[in-house]
Amino acid sequence: MLLFRSEEHVERWCQTHNVPRRPLVLLDQLWQLAVAWYANRLTEESRRPGPDEMEQIFARLGLHDSFWQVRR
Amino acid sequence: MDFDVSVKLAIYHVIANTGKAPSIAQVAARLNSSVAIIREAIQRLYTKRLLVLEPDTFEIRMAPPFSAVPTSFAVAAAGKSYFANCVWDAYGIAAALHLDVGVSTSCGCCGEPMTLAVREGAPVQTPGLAHFAVPAAHWWDDINYT
Repeated sequence: MLLFRSEEHVERWCQTHNVPRRPLVLLDQLWQLAVAWYANRLTEESRRPGPDEMEQIFARLGLHDSFWQVRR
Repeated sequence: MDFDVSVKLAIYHVIANTGKAPSIAQVAARLNSSVAIIREAIQRLYTKRLLVLEPDTFEIRMAPPFSAVPTSFAVAAAGKSYFANCVWDAYGIAAALHLDVGVSTSCGCCGEPMTLAVREGAPVQTPGLAHFAVPAAHWWDDINYT
């Protein structure tokens, strides 16, 4: 995923690359995702969140759109 | 400790301390093991989506949030330099290291330089938005493009 200066720049990039406009993620939300995924990555106990856990994390951060469903 | 966990921790220890991913041979030497055995362990870690490998050499390409190759997300922390795989992983390096970081990157659209920072466990407020081009269920179809 990429970082953009503004919503206008996201729109322009999507048009240029013929990519559908997806839900935007605020930087505070992105930081919380980073903490949920990686805070214990350098420890013995670390593991990648499972599908249920991922969807719970997304929901907790207000990312409810079907875009965030992990299972196909 | 489970052997695969030892392999994973050896990889992360090197990349966190040097900013560079170890080769399979270096991991084998570090764990007093063989390249063949380490290669098998790394394949299992890849299956668990804990590593991403180079398609031709099977060397480490990503140990998320770290990238083994230069990217447009350069991260500085405690005098060391890293590359992140994406903007999520740029913050992820701060989360994994539990350190303040500065991120040098650019707008995905216009290329204008942008900076991010994490200080004392929180992101410094700055303008910007993240956009995922691919829905979550398909991220691992091609993890190099999300």
